[in-house]
Amino acid sequence: MQRNCKEIKSELNQRQLKMIKLKIDNKEISVPKGTSILEAAKELGIHIPSMCYLKGYGNHPSCMLCMVKDKKTGQLHPSCAYPAQEGLEIITNDAEVRESRKDALELLLSDHVGDCEAPCRIACPAFMDIPEMNRLIAAGKSIEALKLVKEEIALPLVLGYVCSAPCENACRRKAIDNPVSICQLKKHVALADANSDTAYLPEKEISTGKKIAIIGAGVAGLSAAFHLTKSGFACTVFDKNEKAGGALLNTDQPKELPSEVLEKEISILEKFGIEFQLNKNIDSKSLVQLKLDYGAVIIASGEFNADLKESFGLKLNAKNTGFEVVDGFFTTSEANVFVCGSAIKVQKMAVRALSQGKAAAYFISNLLKSGEEKVEYRMFNSKFGKLQTEEYSEYLKEAISDNRFEPDKELDGFANEMAIEEAKRCLRCDCRKPKTCKLRIYADEYGAKQKQYQFGERKLVQKIYTHETIVYEVEKCIRCGLCVDITQKEKELTGLTYIGRGFDVRIGIPFNESLQKSLEKTAIKCAESCPTGAISLKY
Amino acid sequence: MSQKIINKVDQIITEIGSSVNHAIPILQAIQNEFKYLPEVALKRVAETTDISASRLTGISTFYSQFRHSPVGEHIIKVCIGTACHVKGATQVYDAFKRELKIEGASDTDTDKLFTVEKVACLGCCTIAPVVQIDEVTYGHVTTEKVGDIIKDFKSKDKKLATKVSNIKKTNSAVQGEIRIGLGSCCVASGSKEVKEALESTLNSSQINVDVKHVGCVGICNQVPMLEVHKPDEKTTFYTKIKPDEVSQIIYHHFKSEKPIEKIKAKLLSSFEDYVISDLPKSIKRYNSDEKSSPISEFIDSQVSIATEFRGEINPSDIDEYINLGGFDGLRKCINEYSPQQIIDIVNESGLQGRGGGGFKSGIKWQLVKDAHAEKKYVICNGDEGDPGAFMDRMLLESYPYRVIEGVLIAGLAVGASKGYFYIRAEYPLAVTRIKEGIEICKQKGMLENNILGSDFSFDMEVFEGAGAFVCGEETALIASIEGNRGLPKMRPPYPAESGLWEKPTLINNTETFSLVSWIIKNGAEGFSAIGTAKSKGTKVFALAGKINRGGLIEVPMGVTIRSIIEDIGGGIPNGKKFKAVQIGGPSGGCIPAELMDTPIDFDSLKEVGAMMGSGGLIVLDETDCMVDIAKYFLSFTQDQSCGRCTFCRVGTKRMLQILEKISSGKGIMDDLDKLEKLAYQTKKGSICGLGKTAPNPVLSTLKYFRHEYEAHIKGKCPTGKCLDIIKYEIEDSCIGCTKCAQRCPVDAIKSEPYEIHSIDNELCVKCDICRQICPVDAVKIV
Repeated sequence: MQRNCKEIKSELNQRQLKMIKLKIDNKEISVPKGTSILEAAKELGIHIPSMCYLKGYGNHPSCMLCMVKDKKTGQLHPSCAYPAQEGLEIITNDAEVRESRKDALELLLSDHVGDCEAPCRIACPAFMDIPEMNRLIAAGKSIEALKLVKEEIALPLVLGYVCSAPCENACRRKAIDNPVSICQLKKHVALADANSDTAYLPEKEISTGKKIAIIGAGVAGLSAAFHLTKSGFACTVFDKNEKAGGALLNTDQPKELPSEVLEKEISILEKFGIEFQLNKNIDSKSLVQLKLDYGAVIIASGEFNADLKESFGLKLNAKNTGFEVVDGFFTTSEANVFVCGSAIKVQKMAVRALSQGKAAAYFISNLLKSGEEKVEYRMFNSKFGKLQTEEYSEYLKEAISDNRFEPDKELDGFANEMAIEEAKRCLRCDCRKPKTCKLRIYADEYGAKQKQYQFGERKLVQKIYTHETIVYEVEKCIRCGLCVDITQKEKELTGLTYIGRGFDVRIGIPFNESLQKSLEKTAIKCAESCPTGAISLKY
Repeated sequence: MSQKIINKVDQIITEIGSSVNHAIPILQAIQNEFKYLPEVALKRVAETTDISASRLTGISTFYSQFRHSPVGEHIIKVCIGTACHVKGATQVYDAFKRELKIEGASDTDTDKLFTVEKVACLGCCTIAPVVQIDEVTYGHVTTEKVGDIIKDFKSKDKKLATKVSNIKKTNSAVQGEIRIGLGSCCVASGSKEVKEALESTLNSSQINVDVKHVGCVGICNQVPMLEVHKPDEKTTFYTKIKPDEVSQIIYHHFKSEKPIEKIKAKLLSSFEDYVISDLPKSIKRYNSDEKSSPISEFIDSQVSIATEFRGEINPSDIDEYINLGGFDGLRKCINEYSPQQIIDIVNESGLQGRGGGGFKSGIKWQLVKDAHAEKKYVICNGDEGDPGAFMDRMLLESYPYRVIEGVLIAGLAVGASKGYFYIRAEYPLAVTRIKEGIEICKQKGMLENNILGSDFSFDMEVFEGAGAFVCGEETALIASIEGNRGLPKMRPPYPAESGLWEKPTLINNTETFSLVSWIIKNGAEGFSAIGTAKSKGTKVFALAGKINRGGLIEVPMGVTIRSIIEDIGGGIPNGKKFKAVQIGGPSGGCIPAELMDTPIDFDSLKEVGAMMGSGGLIVLDETDCMVDIAKYFLSFTQDQSCGRCTFCRVGTKRMLQILEKISSGKGIMDDLDKLEKLAYQTKKGSICGLGKTAPNPVLSTLKYFRHEYEAHIKGKCPTGKCLDIIKYEIEDSCIGCTKCAQRCPVDAIKSEPYEIHSIDNELCVKCDICRQICPVDAVKIV
C-alpha cells in the first residue's frame, strides 16, 4: 500500500517535471517545463540583467532589460517571462542584445527624475559625500562626519578656511533661500577634531614596504601623501621652504588662513606618519638620487615657471606651462616619476589641487601595487537639473525651513547646536540607494546616456514622506509594478495600484489614502524589492 | 446624495454580480447612471464586493471610457479618427472649446452644459469630420460652422423629445416596399430623420407600403438612401435625400388611400416630368439596371461573402436570415461533419485571421481542439479600435446572425461550450443587435442546450469593452474580460493553450467568424477559388479619406490599390492628385502613389511596409502632409499604449516628441536617425502587437517620404498642414470686406473697410476660419 502511494507520487512528479532541453549561449541544459530562460541561464551561471523580475511574484516583463535573442528567429524576448522551449537556442549577450538593453536603459533614464548623487557632491572636485556629512552632523555624530570627510579630503580644516565652496553654488537649497553652509560645517567637524587630543587618523592598509617621495608640500602634494600613506606607502614630503603649505603660505590675506590652523593640520599629517623634509631643494641631480632611494617620485612643485623653476629633465607640455603627462594619467617621460597639481596645469582652487593629489595617489597606488593603470572611476550619475518652484515644497519635506546661519568667519565657526540646525537644512538630494539601485548599476555597466532620449519637459518631482519606514519618490519609479504585485500577493488591504496607462501611468494609492495605510505590512519588502530609489527605507 | 448613490450601487451589484470579473460591467453601469464614477460609489463597490480598492482604481483609470469627474449635461464628441483628422478634426475640436470658452485642460464649460471630448473614431469616416452631441451627429463639420452647430443642437434638443413615430397599419393592399439602411453611419448622415419623415408621410397619407430597415448598404457616400421596390417597376434608388424630400418620392411611386391625398397624388403624377426635375438638386435617382451609375460602379467590383445580402436583409430578422440559407452551415456541421472535418474545411479554405495578423485560422482552431480541458471558450473580437475602421461594427450591426453562426460553428469544431462577444462600448447598436440576436437564437433553439436537436450545447454572452485600443490584442482582451487592466501577456502560452481563465480559448476577429458559414456552405474550394495563391477569399475595407465614393467595401484578395481607388472609389475629389493610401491604421503604413498597383494581400502589403491590419483604408491626396500622418498615428498608439513595456511606454512617447520637434520646424537631421533607431528598437522590444507595429506608420513614411521630413527640418511643411510651422497671410487680392476680421475668434486680423487686411501671426490660432470664408480666396497658408 505504502509503495503504491510512493509510486503514484513519483509518477505525478515526473509528469509535472517534464524536462525541456535547450541551449543558452551554446551550453546545453535541461529544465522543468515552465522554467523561464532567465532562471535557466542562472543555473548555467549566466547572469542576465533584469530589474522588474522577482522570483515568486508577477511575471509581467516590463523593463525589457533581460532581453535575449532567439538564435533561429532572430527575435528578442524578455527572458524573465519567456519560457524554456524544446530545442530553443538562446543568445544572452551579443551586440544586438546589448544595444537593446542600452536603449531600454536610456529610455527609462529619460523619464527617471532623480539624482544618484546630490548636486553639491558632483560639484565638489574632491567628490566629498556632503549630504551624508550633513546627516551625520544633524544626528550629532560629528566624529563620524569628520571620518567621512577625510575619506576624500586630506586637509578639511584648511579647506574650511580657504575653499571657494563650489558645492554651495550647486546646493539645491540655494534656489529656495540660501545654500547650506557646507564649508562651515566641514570646518566645524575638522576644527573639533583638530582641537581634540586624539585627532582622527584613518586606518592604514597593510604596509607595502614601498617608499614614495613627494616634491612639494602644497595642497596637491599633501593630499597625495595623505592618501598614499593610507594605502600603505611610506611617504616623505620634500619642500624648499622652511614650512609646509606651499601656496597656502603666500596667501595674500593671511587673516583668511591663520598660520596656526595650517600648522595644526600639518601636525595631524605628521602624526599620521608622513615624513617632512623641509628646506630641501630638489633639482634634476638630487632627483636621480631620489629615484634610487624611493619606489616612486611625485612632483607636486606647484605652478611651473619656465624661467625660475627646475624642469627635472622632464618633457614639458606644448605651451611650456607644465610637465607633459598622458591625458588623465600622472605619468611623465621618466619611469616612476609622476606629477600632479599645478605642476601639470595651474589650479586656482585649493580643492582642485587637493583632488588632483588624491587622484594621483589612487593612480600611483594601483600602479605600484598591481601594475594597473587605473584612474578614479565615477559611477553613472542620474541628474535632473534645477528644481522648479513647484518642487520646493517636496524637497523641504525632509529639511527644516529655517534660513541659513553663517558664523563669523574670524571666529571658530559654528557652535555645536548651531551646526546641527544648519545641517538639518540639507534637502537630501542624494538617492537613498546609490549603491543598490539596479538602474544605476546597469546604466553604468552598459554605458547608457541619460540625455540620449530626453526631449520636452520633465515630470515634476514628488516625494511621499508620510510613511514611518519608507519614502516614495514617484518620478524615480520605472513602472515595473513589483510593489503592486507584492501588495496584492501579500493581501494589503489598501495596497498600491497602477493609475492611468501609457506614458502617464504611475504607481499610486487607491482613493488617495495615505502611504502609511497603503503599506501596512509590506513597506520594507517593497523598499527592498524596488529596483530603483523610488521606494526606499527612510533611514 | 451619497446615500442615494450607495443605494444605486448596491442595486447594480445585485443585478450584475460581485466577483472580480464583474468589475468592468459594474463600473459601466455606475457611469451610465451618474455619467461619471463618483468616489463614494467606487468605495462602496470595494467594500461590498470581491473587487479590491487597488483593482478598482487600476481598472477605472486604465480604460478611457471611465470618467472620474462630473460632466456637462451634453457631451460633444469630436471624432479624431483618421478620416476626420485629415479633414481638420483637431481644429474643429479647438473651435468647440473656443466657442464654449473652455480653457486649458478643462473640458466642460462654466455652465456645465457641454463637455467636449475627443473620441478615437465614431466610424462615420465617409462624412468626416464628424461631431456627435449626445445622440445627434453632425457630418462635414468645419471650424466655421461650430457656432451654428451648437445653436442647432440647442434648438433640436427640445424638438427631439416630442418626436413620435410608428406606422399605423391600414387594411388596404400593400403597394410595395421601401428599404432604408440604418447602419450607424447612415444614421449619422441623417437616415433616421429620413426614416421618420417616411413613416409620418406614410401614416398621414395612409399609403400601405412595407418599410424595411436594412443594415449598412456600404454606399456610405450616397446616404441617406431609399430603395423603392414595386412589383411592376424597376427598383429605384434615391440617394442623398433630405427629410423634406421624402414625401415627393413617396407620392411619385405610390397612391394614397385618402381621397384628398389621391387628388394630390394625381396632380403630382400628371406632372411627373415637372416633379422629377423639381426634385431638389441634391437628390439623385438611379434605376437598378443602370450600368454606369455611381452605385453600380461602387458595387460591381466587389464580392460579398461577409456582407452577403447587403442592403437586402433586415439585420434583426432571423427568419429572413434562415430563409436566405442562414444556419445551413451550422446544420451541415452538426449533421454531416465531425469537428475535425470542420477544421479541415477551414484549413483547406486557406482562411486567415482578418484582425490584422493573418494567422491561419485552421491551425488556430486545431490548437484549441487539441488542447485538453474540461472547458474551452470562443471569443469574437469586436474591439475594433483603429481610427478609420468600422468593418466589424458594420458586420455586427448588419449581420448579427452570421457572426453568431460563425462563432457557433467554431465552438462546435473546437469543443467549446461558451462564447463571448467582446464589443467596443462605442458601438451601442452593434451591442444591441448581438444581444438581441442571442436572445432570439435562444428562443429558436440555436443556442444553449441541444442546439438544433443535437447534443451540442453552447452559450453566449456580450462583454462591452471600455475604451482601450490595446484590448484588441487577444491577451489584453482576455485580461479585460477577467476583470483586469487590459495588459497584454507574454506568449507563449498562447490563448489556444491557456486563455480565458487559463482555459484553451479560440479568439478570432469578427470578420473571420462572419466568413465561416459561407465557407461551410460553399466548401473550401469555393472560398479558396477567390483571391490569390497565398491569400484566400475576400477582405472588407473601410474606404475613406480623400476619395469620391467612400464606404464599406468587400473585395477579393489580390485586387490592386489602383482598382479600389479608381474603380470602386471613383478617384480623388476636387481634381487633386493621389498621394498615398494608409492601410492598416496605426499598425499599418502608407503606400505611395507609385506603388498603386500593389495587390492587396497579406504578403504584398508586408513587403511594401504596410499591413493588412483590420481594414482601414484612408486615401490621402497631395494636400496631406506625411509627417503629420505619422505623427497622428503615433500619437494615437502612444496614447493607447498600456504602459508596460519600456519601449512602448517611453519609446513611442520619445518618437512622438521627435516628430513634434520636426513638425514644428525645430528638428535636426540627427533626429531622423534617432527616430528610425527608436522605431526599430520599439518593434523589437515590445511584447504585444501594439508596440511591435506602432512604429510602422513612421517607418513607412520615412521610407517613402523622407524628403518631406527633411523639408520640415529645413523649416517648411510642403503641404501647409503642420500648424506650428505655417503662417496665414492675406494677399493683395483682398477686397477689404472685413468678413474674416469679424469672424476671427482671437482678433488677429487688422482690417479697415475696402483696404487690404493683415493677420497678426503672433495672435493667430490657425483655426482656418478666415481662409474658409474669404469670398475671394485671398487668405493663404505660407
